[in-house]
Amino acid sequence: MIYNPITALLVFLAGSLLCFFVFRPKNGIYTLLKNSYQQKGKTILEDVLKFLYHNQEASNSITTNDLTNSLNFSSTLIIDSINKMMESELIFLEKDTYKLTAKGNEYALQIIRAHRLWEKYLSEKTGFHKEEWHERAEKKEHELDTSEINKLAILLGNPKFDPHGDPIPTNSGRIAKKAGIPLSSFEVNCIGKIIHIEDEPKIIYNQILAENIHIYSTIRVIENNKKRVVFHSEGEVFVLPPIVAGNITISVLENSNVNEDNIARLSSLKLNETASIIGLSKECRGENRRRLLDLGFVKNSKVQIDLLNPLGEPKAYLIKGTTIALRKEQASKILIKNNGKQGE
Amino acid sequence: MEKLRKMNRKRINRIISLSEELRWKIGDDFHDNLTESIYADASKIVEDSVTYTNKKSRFRLDVNIDKIVTSKIWGFPIMLFILGVVLWLTIIGANYPSGLLSELLLDITHPILKNFGESVGLPWWLNGFLFDGVYLAVAWVIAVMLPPMAIFFPLFTLLEDFGYLPRVAFNMDTMFKKSGAHGKQALTMTMGFGCNAAGVIATRIIDSPRERLIAIITNNFSLCNGRWPTQILLATIFIGAVVPESYSSFVSLSAVIGIAVLGIFFMFFFSWALSKTMLKGEVSTFNLELPPYRRPVFWKTIYTSLIDRTLIVLWRAIVFAAPAGAVIWLISNIDVGNESIASWIIHALDGFGFLLGLNGVILLAYIVAIPANEIVIPTILMLTIMVTGISGGEGAGVMFELDSFNAMGDILKEGGWTLLTAVNVMLFSLLHNPCSTTIYTIYKETRSVKWTVVASVLPVIVGLIVTFLVAQIWRILL
Repeated sequence: MIYNPITALLVFLAGSLLCFFVFRPKNGIYTLLKNSYQQKGKTILEDVLKFLYHNQEASNSITTNDLTNSLNFSSTLIIDSINKMMESELIFLEKDTYKLTAKGNEYALQIIRAHRLWEKYLSEKTGFHKEEWHERAEKKEHELDTSEINKLAILLGNPKFDPHGDPIPTNSGRIAKKAGIPLSSFEVNCIGKIIHIEDEPKIIYNQILAENIHIYSTIRVIENNKKRVVFHSEGEVFVLPPIVAGNITISVLENSNVNEDNIARLSSLKLNETASIIGLSKECRGENRRRLLDLGFVKNSKVQIDLLNPLGEPKAYLIKGTTIALRKEQASKILIKNNGKQGE
Repeated sequence: MEKLRKMNRKRINRIISLSEELRWKIGDDFHDNLTESIYADASKIVEDSVTYTNKKSRFRLDVNIDKIVTSKIWGFPIMLFILGVVLWLTIIGANYPSGLLSELLLDITHPILKNFGESVGLPWWLNGFLFDGVYLAVAWVIAVMLPPMAIFFPLFTLLEDFGYLPRVAFNMDTMFKKSGAHGKQALTMTMGFGCNAAGVIATRIIDSPRERLIAIITNNFSLCNGRWPTQILLATIFIGAVVPESYSSFVSLSAVIGIAVLGIFFMFFFSWALSKTMLKGEVSTFNLELPPYRRPVFWKTIYTSLIDRTLIVLWRAIVFAAPAGAVIWLISNIDVGNESIASWIIHALDGFGFLLGLNGVILLAYIVAIPANEIVIPTILMLTIMVTGISGGEGAGVMFELDSFNAMGDILKEGGWTLLTAVNVMLFSLLHNPCSTTIYTIYKETRSVKWTVVASVLPVIVGLIVTFLVAQIWRILL
């Protein structure tokens, strides 16, 4: 073959395109092949069980059509799997709706346990972004066996709730009850605590993430109507459409001695103001949490801004006689009581 | 007995179930609250029992220095000025001792050793292998590497000791954050301008696992002092020659700086790409302590930086350079058929080299010179003379350089070099695998074969792609 730079370039381009189509992360040929090798039967069966469990909790009745429409598999595969599950007595048919047997219920709880423990693991021990936790757990829940799940639970200190505030079933199938009401139906001027942020559907969850709303933060609703929900939390004001607010669950704080207005985020502190630390937000997890505690960001410590940055970020804070620079997203997870300007 | 055991088991089971019940009741917050209150108690005890001699927690002088070095107007100019001074002192200051060392080790000692070998009756091949191969490579590495490192590292350590470097990380953090990296990577990157192996060791200051790996893998994009001389040589011979003589030194200097800046660009790009793909699951934290300024302990700093950084890195380089010298001598002197091994490899690589705008000699030189970038140019010169058969040089397997840049340029042009070849060698010198000292250091620091392989292979792939594209586009346009 005679060398020609244009041909060489074209061959190179073709090669890179090929590589792109084979290895791109979503819908790449490599990923598709890998997925098709995985045990599909087990995944479908477990997804059906989970789907039935969640709908049973919400008192919905589920027909064959509901299953084939909601799950992302071909109808024949789903019906195949339903027949197998009836045979092995995981589910039974009552009129034309499916119900879980006791055995099926137990199985479903184990899958949910695996899913939520894995989310907890991702939040505590890895650096994956929140946005990815759910999808990764959706895959991993089918891969873990019982002994691995129990090991994981011990490693994480047998947590009761996952990072979104969902209860994690124990290995004996026990599950904590959560009493709360959706933010969209919360009354004006009531004080409450965010106890759950739903991570599905993804579009709404991403909207919540973009607002930087922190779980377990105390809130006070300022305005609630059909158009929008406005609430005050950690010194910031948040405005959400009711459909998004409906995916956030609040538990009412009965004792009225909680003064919500006094809590602010360290990121809101201004130069020359002093503050004392109330604590770390629950959004500050794993290694990050331990680092901040080690550095002295503990209850009642005094803190003030020591240095501003020429590029705006990170700011340096003076804490316990040491200057520590923190980025904004970390400072926003440290809760303070602002004591106002310091007398010069 | 059996009954007792049964009773015990029963009791144990009861305790376990009781503990599970209690754990359930106290809930998730308990552990967090406990840790936090221990921390809070500890700080309360410290507050009550420790007295400070000076009430002011920060010295007035410190605050003033900080205000200047992190100010919007002066922060960045001060940083650039200091970096410029350090690099200038290193490159210019190293010239003299480097010349002295190379005269001593290469021009004086080398012939003495060879004569000595002959006089004690060593066979020619053993004499050549030992003194032309092993000794010459080691001597070369010492002469080129030692002086800049002995200047650069102490200067750097002095700045570190004084407390200025954390302020640089503080100022630069936003830029590094955008590419998913840590502000302290500004320091390890700068350290890489001295030596990549030392830069990799310096990443220990980054305590977040993900950002540290990013800093380690991308450190090789900092042009190290083993590669600066190659850049300067090629820029002067080939790029300076295209413009009128009055501009030539300015243009060639700009070309060298351009290559270094290109390296910084690649560093940012791959930091970003890695943090979004391979490394996104690694734990990432951030905090940066700005310690108080203090007067550096001058002599102690000089001593420790020489022992800790310079000598250790130099020793590793020597250990790796010796076998490289041996290999270079052997492949040039062992014949298979009627040609040396080196010629065979060069002819085999010529086609591929041409595709990249390089040639077989250059590729072979980069393969055998993996242990040390310092010996790339001498190896290229020796191999070029060998395959072209022009007169000059010191003989097969004996690396050499000439005093005059023009004479070296003539040899290279005789070997078929064009402006494109020079540009691509400059690019490839920036974008190729780290030297074996650095690879070994990466393994020691990460303890992971996977990340060592990634750090070693990634830059070569980038280099091959970039030189390939440049060569094709060059040939299409010109």
